[in-house]
Amino acid sequence: MAHKYHILTSPTPARFKPITKAGIIAWEEGCLKCARCVKKDCVYKVYEKRSLDSRQMLDSLDTACMDCFRCVQNCPNRLIQKSINPLYKALGDNYWTPEIIENIWNQAENGRVPVSGGGYHGPFSGPGFDAMWTDMSEIVRPTRDGIHGREYISTTVDLGRKLMSLEFDSGGKLISSPPPLVEIPLPVIFDVLPWSPGGKGINLAFLEAARNTRTFAVIHQADFMTDMDEYVPNIILFADDDVLKLSKEMIRRLKIIELPDSGNVMAIQEHLKKINPALVIFIRFRLSRNASVRAAALAKEGAEVIHLTANENGMGKAEDPLFIKDRIRQIHSHLIEAGLRDEVTLIGSGGVAMAEHVAKLVICGADAVAVDIPLLVAMECRVCRRCTEGISCPVDLENIDYAWGASRIRNLISGWHNQLLEVMGAMGIREIRRMRGEMGRAMFFEELEKEIFSGMGIKGLINGK
Amino acid sequence: MKKTNAGKKYAIFFCQQIDKNQDVNRRSIEKEFGPQIRFFPIPCSGRIEPLHLMRAIESGADKVYVVTCPEGACRYREGNIRARKRLLYTQNLIEEIGLERGMLELIRLKAGNNYTVDKLTRELLG
Ligand code: SF4
Ligand code: SF4
Repeated sequence: MAHKYHILTSPTPARFKPITKAGIIAWEEGCLKCARCVKKDCVYKVYEKRSLDSRQMLDSLDTACMDCFRCVQNCPNRLIQKSINPLYKALGDNYWTPEIIENIWNQAENGRVPVSGGGYHGPFSGPGFDAMWTDMSEIVRPTRDGIHGREYISTTVDLGRKLMSLEFDSGGKLISSPPPLVEIPLPVIFDVLPWSPGGKGINLAFLEAARNTRTFAVIHQADFMTDMDEYVPNIILFADDDVLKLSKEMIRRLKIIELPDSGNVMAIQEHLKKINPALVIFIRFRLSRNASVRAAALAKEGAEVIHLTANENGMGKAEDPLFIKDRIRQIHSHLIEAGLRDEVTLIGSGGVAMAEHVAKLVICGADAVAVDIPLLVAMECRVCRRCTEGISCPVDLENIDYAWGASRIRNLISGWHNQLLEVMGAMGIREIRRMRGEMGRAMFFEELEKEIFSGMGIKGLINGK
Repeated sequence: MKKTNAGKKYAIFFCQQIDKNQDVNRRSIEKEFGPQIRFFPIPCSGRIEPLHLMRAIESGADKVYVVTCPEGACRYREGNIRARKRLLYTQNLIEEIGLERGMLELIRLKAGNNYTVDKLTRELLG
C-alpha cells in the first residue's frame, strides 16, 4: 500500500489576539457585593485571569470567554451582558464572512477540523458554493477501519497532459513519448494573492508550506528572489513579466512555468519545452463567457494545464454572470463533448474559502484548485484590504516570521485535507481522480428548483429569476 | 492638522455605536496620519477602564480622547456615564504622578447628530 499522505501539524498561536464574536459588558457600579460573585464561578477563570493587550487594547474578557452565559444568567442584579462584537461584524465582507475568517484562524492555529457542536446552523441554500450539495449517502456506512485507519483514500492528482493512446512502430516498439506529469498529493496549489502588504515573509511562508505539504506555490516572475532559490522544486513561476528574461538555467531547473494566455502562448510553450522537455506549462486566464471555447482551442493545440481564474468572490470577467463552479462545470462538459477533457488538466481558482469548496470544484470538473486568500487569513489577515489602500496592516503581515506563517498554513491545509477525506469517505469515493466531474453525485439547487417548480408554472424562487 | 500638532500622537477610544461604518470611515485618517493616530473602537464607552487609558499614555500617546454617545442614548443604558466617571478617576491618577489632566479628554457627542469617525477626528484635531 502506498505511504499515507499526512501533514504534520503543531499548535501555532496567533501573534495578535483574535477578534471574537461576542464581548462582555460588565458593570461594577450597582454591584450588590454578593457573598459569592458569579464571576468567581466562571469555569474558564475569565475574570480572574483578566488582562489587557495594549497593542490592540483588546481585553482578555472578550477573547477568553467561551460564551457559556453562566455569569450573564446568574448575576442577581443583571450587571453582566454579552453583546455581539462590532469589530467581528466588520471583518471581511459579504463573501469572506466573519465566520469563514474565524474558521480559518482556528484551523491555522491548531490544525483541527472545525466542529460545530450544536449541528449545522447555516441556511438551507445560498448563493455560489452553497447552492450545491454533495451526496453523502455512504456516511451511514462507515468503512470498516474509518477514513483515517487502514482504508486508503487517495487525494493525489497529476498535473499535465495525458496521452489518449499509445503508438507503436511496425516492430512493436513504443514510439509515443508520454508528456511530463507532476504529481501532487492533494489537489491544492497555492496561488498568487489578489492583494497583500509587501515584505517577503509572505511568499517565503507560502513556499516553505508548499514544500512541507509537497505541493507548489505560484510566484510572480518579478517577485522571485535569490533567497527563494532552495524552493525552486516547489515553485510555479508565473511568467507575467517577460518570459524571454528567464535564463536558460532557470528554465531547466523549474518543474512548472505558468504563462498568461495570449495569441502566441503555444509558441512560447514550444520554445520553453525545447529548453526543458520535462517542464509542465500552465496557461492562465480569467473565466468569461468564452472560456469554454478558449479552453477547447488550447486543449486541441496541445495545452497541458489550463488555470482558470475568478476574482476574490468567485466571479469571472465583469460581463460574466456565472459563479466559478457553474462556469467550470460548463467548461468541463464542453471539453467532454469535444472529446478533449482527459487530455488536459484544469485548475480553478478564485473564491475558494473553505475545504468543501475544494471538493465542490473537483466535483464540478476541476482536477485541482488554487487557493489564495485563505493562506493569508491563516496568517491572521482580517480581509480588511487596508493594504490595498496603502494603510498599515493591522496585523503587521509585512514583518512576519516565515517559519511561523508556514506552520499556520500547514495546519490549515492539514485541516482541509482531513475534511476532503471526510467528504470523499461520505461519498464512498476512494480516489479523488474519480471524483472529478462526478456531477451525478451532487445536487444543484437552481436545477432542482427548476425541475420541481417549472412544471407548476412557478418562476424561480431564488434571485427572483 | 495644524502645524502645532505635527508629530503629536493621539489615541482615540470611541463607542462603536456612534458610527456603524467606522471601519471604512476611519481609513482616510489612518492613511493620512499613519501611526500618529490610533483608533480603538469599543463595544460601549462604558467598557473603558483606567487601565486602557494609562496604557495608551504609556505607549506614547500625547493626547487620549474618549468619545461617547450622547447622554441618554447609550445602548447599555449607562455606559457613557460610567465612561465619564472612569475618565475623571484616571485624570486624578495621572495628575498625582505629575502629568496633565488635559492629556485625557472626554468628548460627549450631541444628541440628534449623525457622526462619522473621520469627520469627528478632523474636528478634534482642528
Ligand atoms: S459567559 Fe461563561 S465563559 Fe464567559 S465569562 Fe461568563 S461564565 Fe465565563
Ligand atoms: S489584515 Fe488587512 S491590511 Fe493586513 S494583509 Fe489582510 S487585508 Fe491586508
